[in-house]
Amino acid sequence: MTAARAIALRLLARWETLLVVAIVGAGIWSTTLSPFFLKRANLLDLVTPYIFIGLMAFGLTFVVVAGEIDISIVSNMAVSVVCFAQVFDAGVNVWLAALIGLVVATVLGLVNGALVSVLDLPSLAITLGTMAAYAGLAYVILSGEGVASFPSGYTKIGGGYIAGNELPIALPVILAVAVVLGIVLHATRFGRYVFTIGSNREAARFSGIPVMRVRMAVFAASGLMAGLAGVVYVGYFGSARADAGTGSLLDVVTAVVLGGVDIFGGAGSMLGVFLALVLVAELRNGMQLANIQGDTQDIVIGGLLLAAIVAGNLVRRAQTGRFRVRPLRLGRKEVIAHDAADALMPSKLAPQNLKGR
Amino acid sequence: MNFPLRRTSAQSLASAVFRLREIGILFALGAAVAFFAIRAPNFLSTGNWQGIAQNVAIVIVVGVGETLVVLTRNIDLSVGSIVGLTAYLSAATFAHHTGASVALVALIAIAIGFGLGLVNGLLVAVARVPAIIATLATLAIYRGVDVQITGGGNITAYQLPDRFLKLASTKPVGVPTLAWIAAGVAIVGAAAVRWAPWSRDFYAIGSNPEAARFAGIPVGRRVITAFAISGALAGLGGFLFASRFPTVDAVAAKGFELDVITAVVIGGVNVFGGSGTMLGVVLGALLVATIQDGFTLLRISEFWRLFFNGFAIVVAVTIDALVTRRLQEALRRRRAEALAARHLEAGT
Amino acid sequence: MHRRRLAVTGIVAGAALVTMLALTLSAGARTSKGYKIFFLPKTTTIPVFTQNALGAKAAAKELGDTITYNGPTDVSGPKQVPFIDSAARQGYNGIVISTSDPNAVAPALKRAAAKGVKVVSYDGDTAPDSRTIFVAPSSNKLIGAIEVQWASDETHNKGEVAILSATPTSPNQNTWIKFMKQELAKPKYKNMKLVKIAYGNDDPTESAKQTQALVQAYPNLKAIIAPTTVGIQAAAQELQQEGKCKKIQLTGLGLPNDMRKYVKAGCANKFGLWDERAFGYLATYVVHNVIAGKLTGKLGQTLKAGKLGTFKVVVSDGNKPVVVLGPPLAFTPKNIDKYHF
Repeated sequence: MTAARAIALRLLARWETLLVVAIVGAGIWSTTLSPFFLKRANLLDLVTPYIFIGLMAFGLTFVVVAGEIDISIVSNMAVSVVCFAQVFDAGVNVWLAALIGLVVATVLGLVNGALVSVLDLPSLAITLGTMAAYAGLAYVILSGEGVASFPSGYTKIGGGYIAGNELPIALPVILAVAVVLGIVLHATRFGRYVFTIGSNREAARFSGIPVMRVRMAVFAASGLMAGLAGVVYVGYFGSARADAGTGSLLDVVTAVVLGGVDIFGGAGSMLGVFLALVLVAELRNGMQLANIQGDTQDIVIGGLLLAAIVAGNLVRRAQTGRFRVRPLRLGRKEVIAHDAADALMPSKLAPQNLKGR
Repeated sequence: MNFPLRRTSAQSLASAVFRLREIGILFALGAAVAFFAIRAPNFLSTGNWQGIAQNVAIVIVVGVGETLVVLTRNIDLSVGSIVGLTAYLSAATFAHHTGASVALVALIAIAIGFGLGLVNGLLVAVARVPAIIATLATLAIYRGVDVQITGGGNITAYQLPDRFLKLASTKPVGVPTLAWIAAGVAIVGAAAVRWAPWSRDFYAIGSNPEAARFAGIPVGRRVITAFAISGALAGLGGFLFASRFPTVDAVAAKGFELDVITAVVIGGVNVFGGSGTMLGVVLGALLVATIQDGFTLLRISEFWRLFFNGFAIVVAVTIDALVTRRLQEALRRRRAEALAARHLEAGT
Repeated sequence: MHRRRLAVTGIVAGAALVTMLALTLSAGARTSKGYKIFFLPKTTTIPVFTQNALGAKAAAKELGDTITYNGPTDVSGPKQVPFIDSAARQGYNGIVISTSDPNAVAPALKRAAAKGVKVVSYDGDTAPDSRTIFVAPSSNKLIGAIEVQWASDETHNKGEVAILSATPTSPNQNTWIKFMKQELAKPKYKNMKLVKIAYGNDDPTESAKQTQALVQAYPNLKAIIAPTTVGIQAAAQELQQEGKCKKIQLTGLGLPNDMRKYVKAGCANKFGLWDERAFGYLATYVVHNVIAGKLTGKLGQTLKAGKLGTFKVVVSDGNKPVVVLGPPLAFTPKNIDKYHF
């Protein structure tokens, strides 16, 4: 095998390349489904309704790369939305109120982070609990009809269009956010810490990384992004209610996993998540334009989520040339599925200790 | 060798912790009952307790299956959708074949649930999709299939034979039939987990999958089994659900998985896998149902109940983890002492 | 091993291809006669919307229009937004929408309107400035009045009456109760006495408990009015179990499918709800006339809605412009088998 061919193969086997191929493929499929898909206005507007989902997916990416999970993220957004709305409704300036929404979301993220990192509890179970708790809290804070009287100067940002009324303002915004977060994850010391902790926490600890603080920070980041998603959500829909984001968790998790972020931690890229978001938005848009029933859409997205993991497993094995199941290595990305929980919530608890060290 | 001795001491310590756990829930249950009995009129009435028993029955049936899955250090989020789908299919079968035997339809529902659970198991064990992702996806897929099958319509009580509806309305010896069925499932589950040789594998896999594999346990097969049983019991749960709430549409049992997982986690099943008892799960489900019933009687909003559910999970997990850590320290200390004693013996 | 994996991959890819092909085919071609109308319910998973759609399709057939019925699987305003945008892009002439979040769908509906799509809301209204006309099933006053009327019919206009409501904070329920009280204050109902308003929280168990409490606390109770579909069903079941169906009359708002069993058992002789099919049928006629430019939302305009007759654009319950379907339909043992929702 020549070097050039090896490089080409490696590039081809990169997850992001596959995503681009999938996006083109889904685009062709969508074009056959509906003649309206290829219109410029449609293509530009593709991602707009899913921007709040994308922002949450970006936040979740940090958590998952660090080897944890945060399924409370959608409920967290709902709480921040209703806090924002209540504060605004009480007469506070809308931008200040939005800022308070961000602070609330970050604090809720920190609560998850403290439970997971300081007390060293499993993030899956903890965020499953806070998912319900935060959802209830949102309704307690603002039940009923919600708040909708947001000034147009504010809703313009979330739902407005420029350049001949075709380019949604939100599109450059999310691109900018994706770039900034990409830099944070891939080009800063913090980002490196997150990757190291995700691939091997013990090693990270021994190499002097402040593991506890970084794990706390990824949950805070996830909370902050939930808050930002809430701010955009209110801007786009012009309505703040306790049921904000209902049923979005599947899309958020799909974007992250489809984006090639290793659910066991330690690998993933912001670009991949962004591309996955585009793919999900594109598929939903195409199916919508073809008037395919909502439930069929859910089945397709669910199937896509499964296919992404299975394909990921195959690609990874193709890359490393291993077709044999190797003995387990706990907490590493090569662990086999039974240790999903382990990798999702690695901890000093049961497994290691019972190994009889 | 004093290997047996060590094992006994570790075992007794572990079972002591389980008992402590169950006593803890019992204590909480007692406190809740006392509180609501004072604050809420009617709380202690027979009718109210029959209501609680009915509400908790289906949670227990599905919870027993979920427990097996959690024991193997996995999770099954799709049970709500399986319950919804099998509830509709059971009701539809009765609606189209009024003469169908109740037992036969129950078996069909269980078989369908088994199949859906098997798919989960295969995804997790063979396709190596992490359980949370696999079942999050099948949660959406099974519900989507449910919506397609219902076609946006519903089956109503009027279309169902009384023989079937009686399952939920009769109360032999003052206890609802549903509760008898749940008790039966829980007892069989508890017995199986205690005495069946293969069931101990679940604990072994959950405690340490690597060691379990080296010890020759067919890990993949056991995990598939756990998911399939969870699916089958969710199928039974769906069948009972249709009898209890006979107007079945595509949103039936939406979010039910959260009730089940709450009961399992509060019941002391360790989310790291490897520990938990069926009695704990039954008590956990009872505790949640009692508190929710009390909230209803006190007219506390639905939303506080949701908040409480989540809060309870967090508290239970926290306590669990702290207790487990203590237990492990104690175990290690005992082992060290035993080792020291052996050295001492050898020395003299 | 390698070959097996290839085979598996092949099978998976094949399955995906077949699915996509099937979806492509099911998307299908549509004829382009008449108007294209997008019928967007709160969710496609709830049976009443399926009934609305059947009525809408019947109306469209009469009018020569095409109806597309599609919506999200969760009850969520934001999840309706992509459907609205997509309908506007596909060049639909009109959207009929029922929403749970009036404000969240408003910006999207305005975007659609800017592209020339006519919007009519029904059942769950949107923000008034984002639709041309709202089609209401009934007016609160009519609902309150007719329920008292039914209770009076069944009790020979005398005796103690109780109301079994949903939650004390539900705006609908409270408005209806207010109108019921107004109606009961009229001289013709002077022999009827409202003794208690109970709340079942729209929860079957709690509603049954509250019914039981009413039966025990008021031995002379003659009628229960339950203006909630959950409440009336639970009350019927409880009355049947307690063997009080002869003694206490039950009325209110309920779904025929839910109540059929109890009607046949003699436990509810008169209750009502609007005809869900007629509701979808009327909404479709309204949007058709709006697209045709015959209706602009000016008060006093009239429209002919096929077999339902003539309707007028009015102010109803302080909302305008509204087309009201009419007083709820009464279901009785005689006519209940004609309705399936």
